[in-house]
Amino acid sequence: MAARSAPHPTPLIEVRGLAKRYGGVVALDNMNLAVERGTIHAVVGENGAGKSTLMKALAGAVRPDSGTILLDGQAIAIDSPNAARKRGIGIVYQELSLFPQRSVLANLFVNREPTRGGFVSVAAMEARSRDLLDQLGLHVDVHAPVSRLSIGEQQLVELCRVLLEDPRLLILDEPNSALNKRETERLFTVLQRLRARGNTMLYVSHRLEEVFAISDRVTITRNGRDVLTKDRTALTIPEVIEGMIGVQHDVLFPPPLPHRAGQAGARIAVENLSNDTLRDISFTARAGEVVGLAGLEGSGVSNLLAVLFGTEAARSGRVTYPDARGLPKHPAEAARRGVCLVPADRRRNGLMLDKSILFNISQVAVGAGRGGSPWFSQSRALERANRQIAALRIKARSPYSLANELSGGNQQKVVIGKWLEIGPRVFLLDDPTRGVDVGAKREIYGLIRQMSADGGIVLFSSTELPELIGLCDRILVLYQGRLAGELSGAQLDSRTLLHLINTAELPSARDSGPEFAVPGAIGVPEGRP
Amino acid sequence: MKDETMSQQTAPRAPEARRRLPDEIGVIVALAVMMTVIGVARPRFLNPLNLLTILGHTTFLGMLAVGMVFLLAIREIDLSVGWIFNFSAVFTALLMVAHIDPWICAVAGVIFGAGLGLLNGVLVTTLRLPAIIVTLGTFSMFQGLSLVVNNSRAVVPPGQDSSYFNAISAKLFGVLPVPAVVFLVLAVAMHLVLHRSRFGYRVQAVGSNPEAAELAGISNAMVRLQTLVLMGAICGLSGAMYVGFRGAIDPNEGSDFVLMVVAAVIIGGTPLSGGAGTVIGAVIGTLIIQVISSGLIFFGIDATWSTFVTGAVIVLAVSLDQIVKYQRTRRARRARPSG
Repeated sequence: MAARSAPHPTPLIEVRGLAKRYGGVVALDNMNLAVERGTIHAVVGENGAGKSTLMKALAGAVRPDSGTILLDGQAIAIDSPNAARKRGIGIVYQELSLFPQRSVLANLFVNREPTRGGFVSVAAMEARSRDLLDQLGLHVDVHAPVSRLSIGEQQLVELCRVLLEDPRLLILDEPNSALNKRETERLFTVLQRLRARGNTMLYVSHRLEEVFAISDRVTITRNGRDVLTKDRTALTIPEVIEGMIGVQHDVLFPPPLPHRAGQAGARIAVENLSNDTLRDISFTARAGEVVGLAGLEGSGVSNLLAVLFGTEAARSGRVTYPDARGLPKHPAEAARRGVCLVPADRRRNGLMLDKSILFNISQVAVGAGRGGSPWFSQSRALERANRQIAALRIKARSPYSLANELSGGNQQKVVIGKWLEIGPRVFLLDDPTRGVDVGAKREIYGLIRQMSADGGIVLFSSTELPELIGLCDRILVLYQGRLAGELSGAQLDSRTLLHLINTAELPSARDSGPEFAVPGAIGVPEGRP
Repeated sequence: MKDETMSQQTAPRAPEARRRLPDEIGVIVALAVMMTVIGVARPRFLNPLNLLTILGHTTFLGMLAVGMVFLLAIREIDLSVGWIFNFSAVFTALLMVAHIDPWICAVAGVIFGAGLGLLNGVLVTTLRLPAIIVTLGTFSMFQGLSLVVNNSRAVVPPGQDSSYFNAISAKLFGVLPVPAVVFLVLAVAMHLVLHRSRFGYRVQAVGSNPEAAELAGISNAMVRLQTLVLMGAICGLSGAMYVGFRGAIDPNEGSDFVLMVVAAVIIGGTPLSGGAGTVIGAVIGTLIIQVISSGLIFFGIDATWSTFVTGAVIVLAVSLDQIVKYQRTRRARRARPSG
């Protein structure tokens, strides 16, 4: 790789001391990066490490607070996506930004359609895109709407659209999160062909195996900083994992609370649960326990929680709840039986943003119940709101403040508070600290401990490993819809967990085989903090 | 941090009032200004008898507007209301023609209207279609069936000196027409239902964020169904009373209701984005439409202009709604603490 970049001693793009804060949350804190010409440069890191913010800063979608970006050794300002495009920086985001109802061609030339005599010229579009489509191996009807293509093909259309701008730097932000194995391989072939042509690429991912398969150089990020940059050949997966995890902030996690007596018997038992995504999942969770759920995007963690809450159907298997009954048929039944779900996307699935805290806290107590008074008492709603505002320390001007006016952490507390009002027995928490600042995270951890100490059964999914390690008694890891393994006690450490999440390599807990067998061993597991 | 939170809690703002009243005060002021302007120019307009006539005219349409508030609040719209009204009235009148006790006929009319609403509701929930699509179809179905059963002729029930007809056309305290009283009582009741009942709470929740409501255990389908049945029942009540009040039902009565009903609700301040609604606003909105058309007559302007003016008022009201919403989002963005 070094040989290829020799004629250009200055890197194509260089980032020095980039910083970006969102309110109290530090997204970037002294980030440095140098990408050499004609290489595929991978940026890895856990959620919240700052990878995506860095890419957005390079693509002009985010303005950094301080720091410099140098292109060809010259400091430049990228203050809009258009400015980035003019400088030759193209980005393919994780989420597709295509127009599903429009044709492939129309999508490829959005906003810069070639014209002939004032009319959009389809012939010119075809001529200009044909070569590139061939190179990408995308043999589809270019006049058909994009929605008819597979997700993988759509991703390639998106890539093709960016490539038509002939960018000097191509940024791929988790481009294969929606791709299957074959599509990923196809994507990688394309990337390698582009590199051979001399293109430069920045590749963001947290799937380490793929990073090792495609990249020339790797930069590890953590807490908004670059930790390490090395040639891929000089790195091993365990080293990268080590760099991504770093030192944990144990202080964040409150110690377990003493359990209340008399509740220990309650448990939830899942046996051979299967549906379109899930395959043969079995486990139990007891009252007073925090059970973690971990897995990559698409591994089935969210689906498992959805099935348990009654929003997704199970095809086979048996689930027994503490009330000795089976799966709820719909959320209303779940709510009435004391099963609650704190959804990952609180703004879309948890809150009525144009309504007050008072209104939102009453969602379940007033909305879900059957029988009882047909009236909605404002004074009782106010009682509920004040009770939860005090108990959860929700920072708001008054119970009449709109949910939309609250910060992320306080919004999440409102979502939790609406459920606490009905005293649930089973807590399904789907990544409850996503996008929440550190202070609020700590308080939410305390709440989770409290739920468990009060005799609740807590299933807690998260994309942040330290959280899972710090809070959970046991962690179930899902991989492609099946239970890849279960970690508890001394096994609970980040390296083991990250390995299991990425590779499904540990033997499942139900197997009688060796309990701890990591190929290419990554050192002695740490005890629980 | 804790202290700060506590001190903020001990001084709660004036409840609801701060947020909700201005909407309705706006339309009330608009109505008052309109009446004053017309009254100053044509004092005869403010004659109590004339005002009561206006109130009487608004009754049947106004009741539909009260129900429509609930539909707009769940982000739906029922286009078939005019023909549910008409069909229920025809049904009631035909039962009376068959010499059934008029009071029973009236009750049957209300139930019949609720049944038509139930049909709308079942179609909406089983087909998972927006009500605007389903009711576009049932609009014509109900119209067609109504025309079939009344042979495209007015239905005139016999025995119009019976207690039902007397009761409906009576005037409370010698001045207030009974249908107007029923209208106002219904409006107050529905206002309480929207803001103080669990059904009303669910309506607002589903309208504000259907996905979050579903995940909080509020069945969207059930709320849609109930709202459409309520709408149908109110149309049935309006239709049954219309027969008692006018003593006949024309084959085309109600054909032009839906636009005016929706206009009244929107003018009244119910946001098009759903999640909230104002019954009182809808009542005022109905009155505004009626005052416009009567006022034009008092100014000697051809009555055909009233359609244009009503339309212009809708555009004005919707623009105001949009401006208010825009400023609210701006305020919300500024108020949100950073971190």
